[in-house]
Amino acid sequence: MTIHLSLLLWAPAALALVGAVLPGRAVGRALAGLGAFAALAYAIALVIDYESGGGLQYVTDEIWIRELGVHYKLGVDGLNLFLVLLTTILFTATTLWSLSEKTREREGQYWLHLGLGHSFVLGALMAQDLALFVVFFDLMLIPFFFLALGWGEGARAEKTAAIIKLVIYTLVGSLLMLTAAIALAVLSASQSGNDLSFAFTDLTQVTLTKGSQEWIFLCFAAAFLVKMPSFPFHGWMPDGYKVLPLPVLAVFSGILSKVAAYGFLRIVIPILPDAAVHFQTLMLLIALASILYGSVMAFTVTNARLILGYSSLAQLGFIVLGAFSLTEQGAQGAILQSVNHGLVVAPAFFLAGAAAVRCGGSEDIRDMGGIAFRAPILTTLFLIVAMANLAIPGSSNFVGEFLILLGVFDAKLAIACIAFTGVALAAVYTLRLFIRAMHNRVGQDVDSRDLSLHDAVVLVPLVLCILALALYPQLALEKGEETVKGSVAAARLVQDPPKTPPRTAGTTPVPVTPGGGQGVVIDPATGQPVDPSAGGGQGVVIDPATGQPVDPSAGGGQPVQIDPSTGQPVDPANPADPGVVIDPGTGEPVDPNAVDPNATGGTP
Amino acid sequence: MQTTAWLVLGLPLAGSILIGLLHKQLKGKAAGYLGTAVLAGAFLCTILTLISLQDRTEEERQVVFVAWDYAKTVGVDAQLSILIDPLSLLMMGVVTGVSTLIHLYSIAYMVSDKGYNRFFAYLNFFVFSMLLLVMAANFLVLVIGWAFVGAASYLLISFWYRRKSATDAGIKAFVINVVGDIGLVLGTYFIFKHSGSLDFLTTFEGAEKSFGEHGNNDLTAGCLLLLVGAFAKSAQIPLHTWLPDAMEGPTPVSSLIHAATMVTAGVYLIARMHPLFELAPTAADVGAVIGAVTLLVAGTIGLVVTDLKRVIAYSTMSQIGYMVMGVSSGAYVAGLFHLMTHAFFKALLFMAAGSVIGAMAGQQNLDKMGGFRKAMPFTFGCFVIGGLALAGIPPFSGFFSKDEILLVIGEEGGWHWGLYVAGYVGAFLTAVYTWRMIFRAFFGEACPEAKELEGGHLHHAEVHTNPANGEVEDTDVGFPGSEHHIAERAPEMKVAMGVLAVLATIGGFLQIPKVTHILEDFLEPTFADSHVHHATSDGLLVLGLVLGAVLGLAGIAVAYRVWVQQPGTSAKVLERFKPLHTLFVNKWYFDELIGLVVVRPGAWIGRVARSSFERIFVNGTLVGGSTGVIKASSSAVRAVQTGLLRSYAALLLLGLTVVGLYFLLSA
Amino acid sequence: MNIEWFLTVSALIFCIGAAGVITRRNPLVILLCLELMLNAANLALIAFSRMHGNHDGQVFAVIVMVVAACEVTVGLGVIVAMYRRRVPIDVDELRELQG
Repeated sequence: MTIHLSLLLWAPAALALVGAVLPGRAVGRALAGLGAFAALAYAIALVIDYESGGGLQYVTDEIWIRELGVHYKLGVDGLNLFLVLLTTILFTATTLWSLSEKTREREGQYWLHLGLGHSFVLGALMAQDLALFVVFFDLMLIPFFFLALGWGEGARAEKTAAIIKLVIYTLVGSLLMLTAAIALAVLSASQSGNDLSFAFTDLTQVTLTKGSQEWIFLCFAAAFLVKMPSFPFHGWMPDGYKVLPLPVLAVFSGILSKVAAYGFLRIVIPILPDAAVHFQTLMLLIALASILYGSVMAFTVTNARLILGYSSLAQLGFIVLGAFSLTEQGAQGAILQSVNHGLVVAPAFFLAGAAAVRCGGSEDIRDMGGIAFRAPILTTLFLIVAMANLAIPGSSNFVGEFLILLGVFDAKLAIACIAFTGVALAAVYTLRLFIRAMHNRVGQDVDSRDLSLHDAVVLVPLVLCILALALYPQLALEKGEETVKGSVAAARLVQDPPKTPPRTAGTTPVPVTPGGGQGVVIDPATGQPVDPSAGGGQGVVIDPATGQPVDPSAGGGQPVQIDPSTGQPVDPANPADPGVVIDPGTGEPVDPNAVDPNATGGTP
Repeated sequence: MQTTAWLVLGLPLAGSILIGLLHKQLKGKAAGYLGTAVLAGAFLCTILTLISLQDRTEEERQVVFVAWDYAKTVGVDAQLSILIDPLSLLMMGVVTGVSTLIHLYSIAYMVSDKGYNRFFAYLNFFVFSMLLLVMAANFLVLVIGWAFVGAASYLLISFWYRRKSATDAGIKAFVINVVGDIGLVLGTYFIFKHSGSLDFLTTFEGAEKSFGEHGNNDLTAGCLLLLVGAFAKSAQIPLHTWLPDAMEGPTPVSSLIHAATMVTAGVYLIARMHPLFELAPTAADVGAVIGAVTLLVAGTIGLVVTDLKRVIAYSTMSQIGYMVMGVSSGAYVAGLFHLMTHAFFKALLFMAAGSVIGAMAGQQNLDKMGGFRKAMPFTFGCFVIGGLALAGIPPFSGFFSKDEILLVIGEEGGWHWGLYVAGYVGAFLTAVYTWRMIFRAFFGEACPEAKELEGGHLHHAEVHTNPANGEVEDTDVGFPGSEHHIAERAPEMKVAMGVLAVLATIGGFLQIPKVTHILEDFLEPTFADSHVHHATSDGLLVLGLVLGAVLGLAGIAVAYRVWVQQPGTSAKVLERFKPLHTLFVNKWYFDELIGLVVVRPGAWIGRVARSSFERIFVNGTLVGGSTGVIKASSSAVRAVQTGLLRSYAALLLLGLTVVGLYFLLSA
Repeated sequence: MNIEWFLTVSALIFCIGAAGVITRRNPLVILLCLELMLNAANLALIAFSRMHGNHDGQVFAVIVMVVAACEVTVGLGVIVAMYRRRVPIDVDELRELQG
């Protein structure tokens, strides 16, 4: 089967646009639903068809702006495959939920914005070109801005203030990211001497100097941390969450935050490995602060939305923690947890909405209580979602957290131990929400009734998804494994350069061209990823005997000789037999009889 | 064997799901019988599995079955797999057997409750979780079972969910259990770091290779963290405070979960991990000492508590203290033996207590009970058998199992003598508080409820209230049902209690010193690799048996003297040891301590975070700062926008002129 | 004839127009002055066109005239509409765009 990602990308927006133009309310509704379902079906086909470990697949690569080297390049691999599926699932759920709600004003526009949002999020996830990613990342905000403004909740003034806060906040981050993206492409191009290109595969080939990596890293990190949000950049979150219409909030919290988390694994860590290592502790501490702060806040606030909002803050802290453990387990856990959290938080918002409807519209848990009384099915669904949210072992969320914390445990033991506090706190605030809403004495204005059919149509499939993933998380893990390994390989290499010398006789540590994916260079002799900078772009020389980088200007400037018969390095002071000489400047084998005087430090 | 083994796990799960899905269709006692039937089926499958396992040679009696890869990625090798060996089979047998009886009991006991179907769905789910725990073949599945058991326990503790006291107890139990889960997971990390595998058998076989002959610090840390998990689940100090509160649940729940099965998970864990604990003797010693402390502390609290179920709850804590002490000191078989006999007699005691509470129409306070001996002869008989077994009176089951643990500890010598003495002091206390309970409930002057029952009428409350705080309740879903049931009038309850009474009486014969060693032989394959070997000295054996019997009888005698012969004595003793009594009544202030150390600072941080940090820093400095900068700059720009068309035109021209001049001058 | 003369005249007309735009308050007169400025530019274009000997400048001048015609049409329409609605015909009074 040939799958065209462009079709998947634009289907929701195109159908929504048609629906907005055509007259008739029913047509708009039908087309909105059709767009969401078409994308969902296509995404399911994509997941089924996707070949595990096959690198980047279904690549669409067209030149968009030739002069700037911007490509319209889409592709799917282990990092974004399930996030794409999650996006379509959540948007479908939101569309269904919105369809069943009371008629709203200007409904045509509502569907248009929802469809546009759907497409833009998919675009940001599937983009394989940094410029395209930045464009979609910023476009994402626009439909949500209008959705909040047009159909948001709360008083007009309060709403406007909250939305302005949200937009300014995320826009500042976006602008920083734009700057960083341009700088990244320009610096890479000037360093490698190639044409300007924004494609991820090209950017990963070049390792920038540490100084430029660092400031570019900070710009990206600012954008992503604001978008997530992460402590202490979450200032827009409480107000923003209060005004967004509930079904929109479900996708907003479920998927937009994940785009940021995904950005770390897709862009920041593979392209800026030195900076990722340099700022690892800082990022881990920010993540830890998010976890603890979010958890503590989640059990002091009383608004159900805010409890879930702060809970997301904590959960996203876990995701960042996993990504910046810079271990394979951590990254794998982070990707899995992104999917899990999206799958859990969306039904949680719907359930909070359902609970609010049953207690006179108040979203304050102090007004709730005893909703379980006549609503066994609703309570069971709520219970499953709550248990998944607190990552009870046996849920897929637990597998995610298990991997994340295992990764952090290997990287920074103390941080892992403190992060576990967050796991305990999650149990406290999630159960508090569940008990205060569903259990205890029946509240004054509570009218306990079970799930209506259209609530069930949305909630039951979502809960079934949670259960299915809980039973078989391997599904997601297996398809993601190879890509995830590639995503952290460069950073791992910076952290822990390979210690073993090449074993095969006569093999020189010349980097091979990458097979695809994230462009990790694999040494054919050891099967270990090799620092691409060893090839000469950086002029860093890896001593094959020790695996340590060698300063060419210092005494280590001696060419290292490899005995072709044994593969062992030969003592240059005693060249018993003429081995192959490696030029430290280029990493290429050099004819020993014609030693380059520049490379040997002037002592031919 | 594979099929039957999976069926043991699958049947309760199927039962739970089925009852859940058909909750509207199942009428009357149907759900109860369905739930009981699946468990009887599971018990049968356990027996079949046992038979086919015994057909194998001793070396082959550790079998792993894999269902599918669960999380097999980036170096983690978690499969959904179960381990069938004598240890897991023993636990499976106890769990399914006792559960079947308790389900049978519940059919009648819970019948007037409006949440009848829900109750059985939860109860079946609990059994499934417990089986998953004991059948797990790797750490991840163990943690899953571990947490599911906690969740099921939470659901059942707050089964009467409209009672705030029940939901509070539920969240407390759940959170402490999550702390235990965390300990378990973190401990797993420490072990996985060296072993590189989550699989039990692989880890155990390579233990000496991966941790060194004498273990290492990581292993000790890992084992200590596993102990945190064990303590939380088995209600050992200082993670025990949830267990007494857990008595908010219906009595069958207390009987099944908080006495017979779940709380013994910690003991199972230590026994299962014995190859690791033997390499980490420090951790094992910590386990033994905590077990001893718990058994004494719980015993002293048991002396003063007036709530019938809580007395038995503290007794459970205390008995698990024995088991933890035992398995931590290498007395694996003895510890598991006590686990089994304890399951019998403690389940029996709770059932009998449930019957008494039924007769009291939900009232649990010992102060209000009395003289039920004549009114409820069957319940009384069961209570006495349970009490004798608990107090360790020969030839009842508790006698043999408790003495075997203490025998092994005595043989360890050295500082273990301290544990030995603690064990016998505890035995004396056990006899006193158990029989205090029996004498106060069944002897003495008959209370009004007992008199009413003697007259042939079961007491019913006019207004239903929460026994914990006296709040008025109705009898709809979320509160206890309108009617109460006693064993004398419900055949299901009678059968269940009868079977357990027999087991509590004869259960000890499996392991009579010098006579039978059925359990030891059976468990041999699991503990074959254990390095702990005990020489049995006859002197110590005889001393222990005599001491146990004498102390038990002495305890009963003291209880008889204080509460039956001279009813005023206890008040006098209380006066003399007022501070001590206050300490015991307040449960050694553990709740207050945890509140002071954990809960209050947490709540304080939350309040401060919300009221100051969020407002001043996040909203004030960050949000206010950035919006402030934008506002200031925009108002500067705005000043230019006069709205005067002519000034715009002038500006435009001025700008043009400046640009033009610039180019002219630079050219 | 020398190009300077043309440019001088063009600059003069432009300045007259600009001065008119800045100083007058009646939108009608401002429109007239705008026309003056545009035509000054046209004059310069045509002069340059003649100097270079190709027709590009003339083409631009024609386009400018078309645009100017459109602009006047719209501008006059707006002014008439304002007059009808009894809005004061004085640009200093129309300051709704003030920031």
